[in-house]
Amino acid sequence: MKIALSEVTKRFASTTAVDRISLEIADGELFTLLGPSGCGKTTLLRLIAGFAAVDAGEIRFGERRVERLPPYARNIGMVFQNYALWPHMTVRGNVTYGLRLRKLTGAEIERRLAGGLAKVNLTGLEDRYPGQLSGGQQQRVALARALVLNPDILLLDEPLSNLDAKIRVQVRGEIRALQQDLGITTVYVTHDQEEALSLSDRVAVMREGRVQQVATPKALYERPVNRFVADFVGTNNFIPGVVKERADGVAVVETALGALCARPGAPGPGAPCVLAVRPENVTLDGAGENVVAGRVRLASYLGNTLRYDVETAAGLVLKVDVGDPWQHEVLPAGHAVRVAFPASATLVLSHD
Amino acid sequence: MIARTAGIAPARAVVATALPALGVALIWIFVVVFVVYPLLRVFYDAFSDESGRLTLQNFVAFAGDAFYRRSLWNSLLLGLGTVAATSVLGIAIALLLVRYDFPGRDLFGYLTLIPIISPPLVGVLGFTFIMGKAGTVNILLEDWLGLGTPINFVYGVHGVLLVETLHLFPMITLNVVDALSRIDPSLEEAAESVGARGWRKLATITLPLTTPGYVAGALLVFIWTFSDFATPLVLGVHDLLASQAYLNIVQFVDRRLFRMGLVISALMVALAIVFLIAARRYVAIKDYSSLAYARVPRRRLGPVGATGAVTFLSAVMLCSFIPYVGVAFASVGKGWSMTPFPVRYTWIFFERVIVETPKYIANSFLYSALAVVLCIAIGVPIAWILARTRLPGRDTLDGLNTLILAVPGTAIGIAYIRAFHVELPWLAVPLTSLWIVLPIVLAVRRLPYTVRGSYASLLLVHRSMEEAAASVGATGARSFRDVTLPLIWRGVLVGSLFSFVTSLQEASAVLFLSLGGWETIPVGIFAFYIAGSANEAAALGVILIVVAAVSVLAINRLAGARMGGMFG
Repeated sequence: MKIALSEVTKRFASTTAVDRISLEIADGELFTLLGPSGCGKTTLLRLIAGFAAVDAGEIRFGERRVERLPPYARNIGMVFQNYALWPHMTVRGNVTYGLRLRKLTGAEIERRLAGGLAKVNLTGLEDRYPGQLSGGQQQRVALARALVLNPDILLLDEPLSNLDAKIRVQVRGEIRALQQDLGITTVYVTHDQEEALSLSDRVAVMREGRVQQVATPKALYERPVNRFVADFVGTNNFIPGVVKERADGVAVVETALGALCARPGAPGPGAPCVLAVRPENVTLDGAGENVVAGRVRLASYLGNTLRYDVETAAGLVLKVDVGDPWQHEVLPAGHAVRVAFPASATLVLSHD
Repeated sequence: MIARTAGIAPARAVVATALPALGVALIWIFVVVFVVYPLLRVFYDAFSDESGRLTLQNFVAFAGDAFYRRSLWNSLLLGLGTVAATSVLGIAIALLLVRYDFPGRDLFGYLTLIPIISPPLVGVLGFTFIMGKAGTVNILLEDWLGLGTPINFVYGVHGVLLVETLHLFPMITLNVVDALSRIDPSLEEAAESVGARGWRKLATITLPLTTPGYVAGALLVFIWTFSDFATPLVLGVHDLLASQAYLNIVQFVDRRLFRMGLVISALMVALAIVFLIAARRYVAIKDYSSLAYARVPRRRLGPVGATGAVTFLSAVMLCSFIPYVGVAFASVGKGWSMTPFPVRYTWIFFERVIVETPKYIANSFLYSALAVVLCIAIGVPIAWILARTRLPGRDTLDGLNTLILAVPGTAIGIAYIRAFHVELPWLAVPLTSLWIVLPIVLAVRRLPYTVRGSYASLLLVHRSMEEAAASVGATGARSFRDVTLPLIWRGVLVGSLFSFVTSLQEASAVLFLSLGGWETIPVGIFAFYIAGSANEAAALGVILIVVAAVSVLAINRLAGARMGGMFG
């Protein structure tokens, strides 16, 4: 079922938590709301769920207006950040609670329970209490509880934030696989950009109640629309400057490191801008379009990459990632290097 | 430098290990002598005859007596009835206070605390002035409606039920308020998202989540009602176990009756222990409290709902405050008989109990103050042992501390009479002949509040805060003074204040042990009332109420009304 938000607004006392947001989420899509804490992503999810009332705007599930409906009338399934399993009920009790409220027959309830637990690989734990389960298992009970009602829409509020790093990656994969099997429209809230990139069809980056950019993970990472998105998603080097000229798909920008070539963006000639280039696109071989001299200040060996902080002549520090540290001796601090980055991987962004 | 340290170290080390060990030993001696021994003594007495031989004969006699069987049955029914009544009232009020917003909510929140901290003896007294056969209400009914015979509102078991309910419902309210405000809002939102709302959500999600706190409150209500003898006696109800225990013990004529009193006392202690174990089991499996990030937002009631809530709460408060009005009038009213209100007003009764016989107030404050000092001296170290050490016997100490909370004052009073009636070795008098026994029994009765208050505060001071102080060079004592103490004094003070005010009001245990010249305010109230001098009793009651009200204000200021933990 598709979701359409139109000019949705929510105000709290003095702040506007959600500010005139319009979005279209396609049927069967896994759509992620990404942003730092306080950006309004959880509030927006709660508006979609119906736990908070919109101050203005429209929410449609399919053709149905839902923004005035209570949560239980919207046919949603929700997984809460801390799972919100009822501690006084067993797994069976938790998962079948909503079914019992709907007065289904005993056989039907058993069938749906078995199906729901099978989906999340929890068969056999029906009679445990939430307190007797691991974090990952609790998370899956919460998912099963949301799914047995056959909701039109699945809402997930930072479902992985209480799990260990290793489990998190595993459960992340399970959620994505399950969502694709069921083909259920899903809205996923997280502040973890890696999580967002790895499992979403599309991501909306939010800041201070506004959507900054909606894009596929690849587009979001490679073509951020502004400095905030470029900074929040992944790591970037930022070099402030002024656009000198723009022609033939190349912009020339005057910076403290000299004139640099980049992919043109919104800022036109004469406008102040910021150049964004990711560490993995900067090389140490000193050959290419933009070459800058500097010295190694810090080397951080991370196993799969080797990151250098290179201090350039102008005092600006550039991060440089070496992708194959096995083939590379770690350079000592103070070592003189020449870094280079191609214009095609250097973006001109508005200075916001 | 190194050499000097090495020279001093052994002496210091001896002191550093010997002092705490001595302290722990003293605490254990106190607990064993004044808690364990008296309670064991009650059981020994209940299971032995006059010559000291072990026998079941006392229990056989008890079970064979139809009057005691009926009393036991009545006491159980009364206890259950009071639990039911306080539960309905207490839970309804807790839900209103926590979940809804309406005019005067804060005021009602404060008012609900008062009945529990007000002296129970004063409560029943006040009821008789207003609701008694010659009380204000009956006189007014007679005047207005020409009612020939007065309606019996309070004399009888129904009166006991009424008085106990209005006195004890805050115990449920406090515990449920505490539990309700610790429920994670998302638990209820999850219920809403799958379709539960209104009463259904309340019955299947919200209320079950409050059970651990509720059960603790309900058990205390039951034990209190089961063992309270003052209220039934004032209301003329004798066929209850507690009433019988008191009447049997204070008469010193018939040894057999005295023995029956001991049997009843042993029954009460046994009941307390059984309940305690049951509650511990239950609460241990079911700890639902979560560190909720947020609270369920209060729903603002519409005009109809708000009117209903305010009317309901006002009605309950009005009933709870009937005794205060009655006592206030009686304390200053002269010639108050067969008229709805006193005809003349006077300070003479206050003069009598304050100026002519100042011993009531003087004794009360002296004993309670000493009791608090003892409570702090014993209770804070116990709290520290519980919170910070892995000493052997720690769990036993914890269990005993909770047991004291559950054992009724009636049983403790009887236990002390038996246990400390032996002559002290070098004084040639028994402890029961020295007034110091009263501060001691008060301290024992109130120890749990101090321990719990301090324990809760100590838990908030994370171990690493003390370790951080140690890491920058503070010694143990120094880090306690500079880091721990500033963080826990508030909790200790609240616990102490609570211990103090409830010590002032303690009637049951003190009534058994008090001798001529040691009378406290509650003993005075009981004695005056039984002797027919209701006005003097009322004047003393007013004094207790004022002290209680001031204390509640102070505790509220300090603790922010979160007293629920005190009774869990």
